[in-house]
Amino acid sequence: MLAPRQPEPSHRPLIAVAAATVATATGLGWLLQRAWNPKGDVNHRAAQALGAGAAILCISVALDSAIEHYRGQFKDRAMFVGPTMALLGLGAATYIAFRPEHANDRLPKIALFTVGATGLIGLAFHSYNILKRPGELSALNLFYGAPAGAPAALTLAGLYGVIAGEMLSGRDNVSTRLPKHTAALIAFSLMGTVAEAGFLHFRGAFQDPAMYAPVTIPPLAALSIGAAALTPRAAAFAEPLLKATAVLGIAGPIFHAYGIHRNMGGWHNWTQMILQGPPLPAPPAFLGIAAAGLGILPALQEAGE
Amino acid sequence: MLEVAEPRAVAGRAPDVFREGKWVPMRTYDDNEEVDFAIVGTGAGGGTLACKLAEAGFSVIAFDAGPFWRPLEDFVSDERDQGGLYWTDERITGGADPIELGSNNSGRGVGGSTVHYTMIALRWRPEWFQCRSKLGYGRDWPISFDELEPFYEEAEEALKISGPISYPWSRRRKRYPYRAHPVNAAGLVLARGCEAIGVQWSPLPLATLSAPRGMAHPCVYRGFCAYGCSTNAKQSVLVTFIPRALNAGAEVRDLAMVGKIEMGKDGKATGLTYHRGGAWRRQKAKHVVVAGYAIETPRLLLNSKCDQFRDGLANENGLVGTHLMTHSGPGVWGIMDEEVRCYKAPPCMAVTEHWNYDDSDKKDFRGGYAFMSQGPLPVGWAEAQAINRGMWGMKLRQEMTRYNHVAGLRIVGETEPQRHNRVEVADEKDQYGLPIPRVTFSYSENDRRLIEHSKGSMRAVLEGAGAKELWTDHDTSHLMGGCRMGDDPDDSVVDRDGRSWSIPNLWVCDGSLFPTSGGVNPSLTIQALACRMGDRISGMAKRGEL
Ligand SMILES: Cc1cc2nc3c(=O)[nH]c(=O)nc-3n(C[C@H](O)[C@H](O)[C@H](O)COP(=O)(O)OP(=O)(O)OC[C@H]3O[C@@H](n4cnc5c(N)ncnc54)[C@H](O)[C@@H]3O)c2cc1C
Ligand code: SF4
Repeated sequence: MLAPRQPEPSHRPLIAVAAATVATATGLGWLLQRAWNPKGDVNHRAAQALGAGAAILCISVALDSAIEHYRGQFKDRAMFVGPTMALLGLGAATYIAFRPEHANDRLPKIALFTVGATGLIGLAFHSYNILKRPGELSALNLFYGAPAGAPAALTLAGLYGVIAGEMLSGRDNVSTRLPKHTAALIAFSLMGTVAEAGFLHFRGAFQDPAMYAPVTIPPLAALSIGAAALTPRAAAFAEPLLKATAVLGIAGPIFHAYGIHRNMGGWHNWTQMILQGPPLPAPPAFLGIAAAGLGILPALQEAGE
Repeated sequence: MLEVAEPRAVAGRAPDVFREGKWVPMRTYDDNEEVDFAIVGTGAGGGTLACKLAEAGFSVIAFDAGPFWRPLEDFVSDERDQGGLYWTDERITGGADPIELGSNNSGRGVGGSTVHYTMIALRWRPEWFQCRSKLGYGRDWPISFDELEPFYEEAEEALKISGPISYPWSRRRKRYPYRAHPVNAAGLVLARGCEAIGVQWSPLPLATLSAPRGMAHPCVYRGFCAYGCSTNAKQSVLVTFIPRALNAGAEVRDLAMVGKIEMGKDGKATGLTYHRGGAWRRQKAKHVVVAGYAIETPRLLLNSKCDQFRDGLANENGLVGTHLMTHSGPGVWGIMDEEVRCYKAPPCMAVTEHWNYDDSDKKDFRGGYAFMSQGPLPVGWAEAQAINRGMWGMKLRQEMTRYNHVAGLRIVGETEPQRHNRVEVADEKDQYGLPIPRVTFSYSENDRRLIEHSKGSMRAVLEGAGAKELWTDHDTSHLMGGCRMGDDPDDSVVDRDGRSWSIPNLWVCDGSLFPTSGGVNPSLTIQALACRMGDRISGMAKRGEL
């Protein structure tokens, strides 16, 4: 015979914060969308959006790896590589986002290819770091060891950039297979990010119900854009879901800022709590991927027709 | 020194442990109002039970001799200053292996010893509840693991224990409510050593938050846990069950030392006498629960002797105070090439229970032990070097320069229940005029063999991790027993529900209930027992059996 469960601390502050955050993020998303001014045909627009998506991914990685490697005191010189490469990627991808007609130029392509390849090397490095700890491939090491998500995001950014160039290459497959493959890649990117967020929110014991958001909406978006790769009609579902995912990408840092507040000393103690609390720069990865996804939809639909 | 002179929980309010300077409303009772339960002690046993009973609708007053701390304001990162957390009233200690009493085994204050405990939250090995019949030593408990398991779960949920996804020992279990903390460098030394010699290790399940919980902050890994946690990450009784108890209508009386349990002519308890605000007072109660821990509980029962009960309460068979146990705690230390900074994060973060679950013939002793990584703070460490290794002056200063490279292990070692290890009362009196306790303790031959064996295991692990210049020391930790529970009135002090055999409205609910000591830290088991007792008492009330 068990007594009634313990009354948990009130959820009211959590609900209020969630409502305010989602409203703010939706407003910001709406403003962003209005400011977004795509030009040219569907391929140009796709290239531009892929560039923007890559740029957002790079900002996220640059800040995240700078903060985390700073926390690790840049003990190994190689720890400068991640943030530096993310900055390089940011430059190249921003260039594409604003000047999509140059997406297929050699320089930005080489830069983004290098960034993507560095992401893969980083992934290998981080995996090695995890495996050499006692316990090897244990949940604990995956929780607290070097993350797989950040270098993988660099690789994605590189890929998006290279694909942006391909969209304008004038090759045959541009209007047929490439948009479909890109949609599949975006579905995969979303699922990877969902896995990372889900795993880290599991580490946080889903203590705030809002922590379930990134493991519910983005997987649906991934499913729908994955479906759209097969049947372009699914793009109709993909659009609102990708938009919702983008809003989450904006809401994330606000939620995480509140999470930092809930640590000892909160923002008064920001130098410590920015390191110890939830990562501020991580969630915009969802915004980046969703932006790229939204950009590829028209090309996808055209390819279907 | 950390000190609170005046009671804080008065005039219908109690300190709000989550907000600086704020209060929460508290129901208060008059001394003459006969409450359902008067509980002596608000620690792992008493505080937990007070909450359970109040939530079940009983009127409850919980007394504690110590203050009602405000962790966010009172506690500072100062080893010396925090000494006020311990029970340091005069006690006599003797026997062949006298136990050092104070900081390492008794707390004084609302929340009891859980305010400065190290938060290790382990379940008993299931067979230990029947260790006589299943493992051939010690005594059987009157309850089984199966009976206690739901209450372990309840206690773990209430404390939001942060534990590993799968714990290698004991039975399959429900997932811990919160995830395990990152293991500090000292814990990783244990991990590497265990992997080197091929025994399993695990991150420790700890009662400190790895994520926010309501107003409580997650752990900041400062490592001051044994000196009171100033962030409320530690899920002590003070910040978990006590706020719940207050919310459910219990009264907590801080700085209220209970001196005697009052008996009526019908052989039942009528209430108790306590000292608060400079005066002795009387509280009427239908039931009295003693939860003062393994020394103060027997002491209070013995000090409450009266014409009817000349040898003390519940002591017809002379067992009150006997079969006191501690956990033996030899430690092995060494120097690592790399920096460890063992003082970072909670002191114990990794464990091996290998020798608790090893029933092979390789062991030359009965019982078990677990060992944990250690994280002594600087003042305590310097003190230990001076006392245990005779270091002083330049030598001590030089040794302290190696402090960042020290790694150590210490066991929680089972000791046997022996009748002559006991708590009695002496003729000397304390500041309240109450006879002080005399504690006698000697290890058995088996206890000594266990200690020697454990030193060998710890050496092997430390050497496996690369530690050099190993040395050992000795300590003891938790206290258990003194009012053991059982199924036979001739052979135990209380029954399986903690109810005294001879006085039906007198109960015991704390670490003194333990018939055997097991090889893990006791508080989770004490809290599971308290949760179970709460449910049992509610059930009895419904059936009219109180
Ligand atoms: C430094 C340290 C580290 C520990 N680490 C761990 C750990 O990691 N894991 C673990 O499981 N256990 C640990 N323990 C042990 C654990 O804290 C105790 O076993 C547990 O708290 C005992 O619970 P209790 O209810 O029996 O007594 P306590 O929690 O000690 O509570 C007893 C309370 O009763 C009060 N009291 C006593 N007599 C009277 C009286 N006459 N009148 C009024 N009040 C009275 C006292 O002031 C005290 O507050 C640790 C203990 C210490 C000291
Ligand atoms: S290390 Fe964690 S549990 Fe220990 S005192 Fe600091 S915050 Fe509290």
